[in-house]
Amino acid sequence: MEMLTFSHVEKHFGEKKVLQDASFSVPEHTIFGFIGKNGAGKTTAMKLILGLLACDSGEILVNGFPVRYGNTRTNRFIGYLPDVPEFYPYMTPTEYLHFCGEVAGMPAKECKARAKELLRLVGLEKERGRIKGFSRGMKQRLGIAQALFGRPKLLICDEPTSALDPAGRKELLDILAAAKEQSAVLFSTHILSDVEHICDKVAFLHEGRVALHGSLEKIRRLRKSTSMEIEMERPEDAKTLLAAFPYLQQKGRTHLQQEGTGMASGLSMQCGWQKGNAHLLLEDTARLPEILHFLAGQELPIQRMERKEPTLEDLFLEVIAK
Amino acid sequence: MKAFLKKEWMEGLRTGRTGILLLLFALFGIMNPAIAKLTPWLIETMSESFASAGIVTTAVTVDAMFSWMQFYKNAPMALLLFLLLSSGSFTAEYQKGTLIPTVAKGLPRWKILAAKALALSALWTALYFLCYGITYGYNAYFWDNHIAAHLLFAAACYWMFGIWLLALLVLFSTLAKTSSQVLLGIGAAAIALYALSVFPKCSKILPLKLMDAMPLLQSLASPQDYYAPMALSGITALLCIALSIPCFNRKYL
Ligand SMILES: Nc1ncnc2c1ncn2[C@@H]1O[C@H](COP(=O)(O)OP(=O)(O)OP(=O)(O)O)[C@@H](O)[C@H]1O
Ligand SMILES: [Mg+2]
Repeated sequence: MEMLTFSHVEKHFGEKKVLQDASFSVPEHTIFGFIGKNGAGKTTAMKLILGLLACDSGEILVNGFPVRYGNTRTNRFIGYLPDVPEFYPYMTPTEYLHFCGEVAGMPAKECKARAKELLRLVGLEKERGRIKGFSRGMKQRLGIAQALFGRPKLLICDEPTSALDPAGRKELLDILAAAKEQSAVLFSTHILSDVEHICDKVAFLHEGRVALHGSLEKIRRLRKSTSMEIEMERPEDAKTLLAAFPYLQQKGRTHLQQEGTGMASGLSMQCGWQKGNAHLLLEDTARLPEILHFLAGQELPIQRMERKEPTLEDLFLEVIAK
Repeated sequence: MKAFLKKEWMEGLRTGRTGILLLLFALFGIMNPAIAKLTPWLIETMSESFASAGIVTTAVTVDAMFSWMQFYKNAPMALLLFLLLSSGSFTAEYQKGTLIPTVAKGLPRWKILAAKALALSALWTALYFLCYGITYGYNAYFWDNHIAAHLLFAAACYWMFGIWLLALLVLFSTLAKTSSQVLLGIGAAAIALYALSVFPKCSKILPLKLMDAMPLLQSLASPQDYYAPMALSGITALLCIALSIPCFNRKYL
């Protein structure tokens, strides 16, 4: 059954169109990755689902019930982690979770047990102090705990890993993977390797539309062609090679490495240019023997030769370049 | 709703708001009889300098009535302070976004509103009658409260005026984004009332009349004169709360 259906939704702020005819759906027991560049409208879409913003047109269903703007009954099914979570600073994390439980009408005894369990899960069990002194990452951890507290059928997390340390990020991915047992999970992120690790379905949001939508395998299959990257030791050799095989591409823009952050890739690009750009890209791998033959004949030294699997990053860059 | 009431209570205590208000209201309660007690002494010590200036002072006698007069003179100040410190009850939460996780859990919004309105009126009631009680106690000790008629009824009138302003505060809080907008709204409503009360017909029934409690104590007015403004305040306060619920339901948090 579909836990969340988002159909033909339009939303604009004044003149600015943020969502136009956006449609996707999240089935039960699925982790749904929500991707898009800054300002694509991910947070806006989530707020629409929670009834915190009004749709201009279209319909959103949560667990089969329509979402209305403002006071909406559908929020009973939802656990939400905002992008910048804010809690009452004068409470301790335990008190805050008790408050969450009481709000949801949970018996006091169960509340206590669940609060303890969740604080351990998110690694805040030793925090005795009030939320006032919490760092952003700690607030995000508490945010996960409160979102999970009522065992929601739909868990919505807005960039849940944005402030977490590397260990915390891994823990969070495990938590989300475990949450799949009882909930549908919708989460937005900019870290595409996370999406590849745990998501079942993905949607790319671009210019107000869902540019790509489907299971991870299906999306991977869209770009099946693997390519070959060749790096010569000397830039001159790269030129020779390029002259002999015009279908080779000189790599102007380095593709992001899978683990690479924006900074690191920027760095490697710089190095490439300094070296006079000895990088070449072969898209049609069937022609590799030809080139190898040539290289062997001319005794040109190779620095590196690598088979490149298409990554979500490539796809992402391709989608936003369209 | 019980959970939210508890949260409001904790918020008041831990942010120190309740403590400050308690202190202020207790201070007001003590100040009224203290001023009454000090006035004759003040005049006596000053009479010499007055005499040299050619002003003749007669010895003044103060009684409970004088102290009650101070009470109703200072009450607007106390009420204003209370409103100032409570004006952020909703708006501070809008600005920080602390209501979002709560609302996202499916707590009906009217429960939040009801809890806040209840907490505010309970606090006002407790503080106001604390102030009243302190003044009453001192007055009974130093003088005699019996010279003032309808003491409790007069006090209830003023209390009702406070409740009426709180209802306005709740309504404006569901419309405004910041606490200064809320205060501005209340201020505008007060100015409108004063403008209306120029007409004697109106002033008889407007809530402002509830502030004018001294004639009751001095038996210059009878409780019946206050029934109409009481009823009007009660009805408009209920209307304000009823109106604020749909507003809050559609409020952008
Ligand atoms: N309350 C608002 N009023 C006006 N414009 C808004 C409002 N909220 C969002 N927007 C606009 O909507 C667009 C989408 O914003 P949104 O926060 O949904 O992006 P996002 O995909 O979450 O971005 P990020 O990846 O940076 O979190 C932005 O251009 C933003 O300026
Ligand atoms: Mg966002």
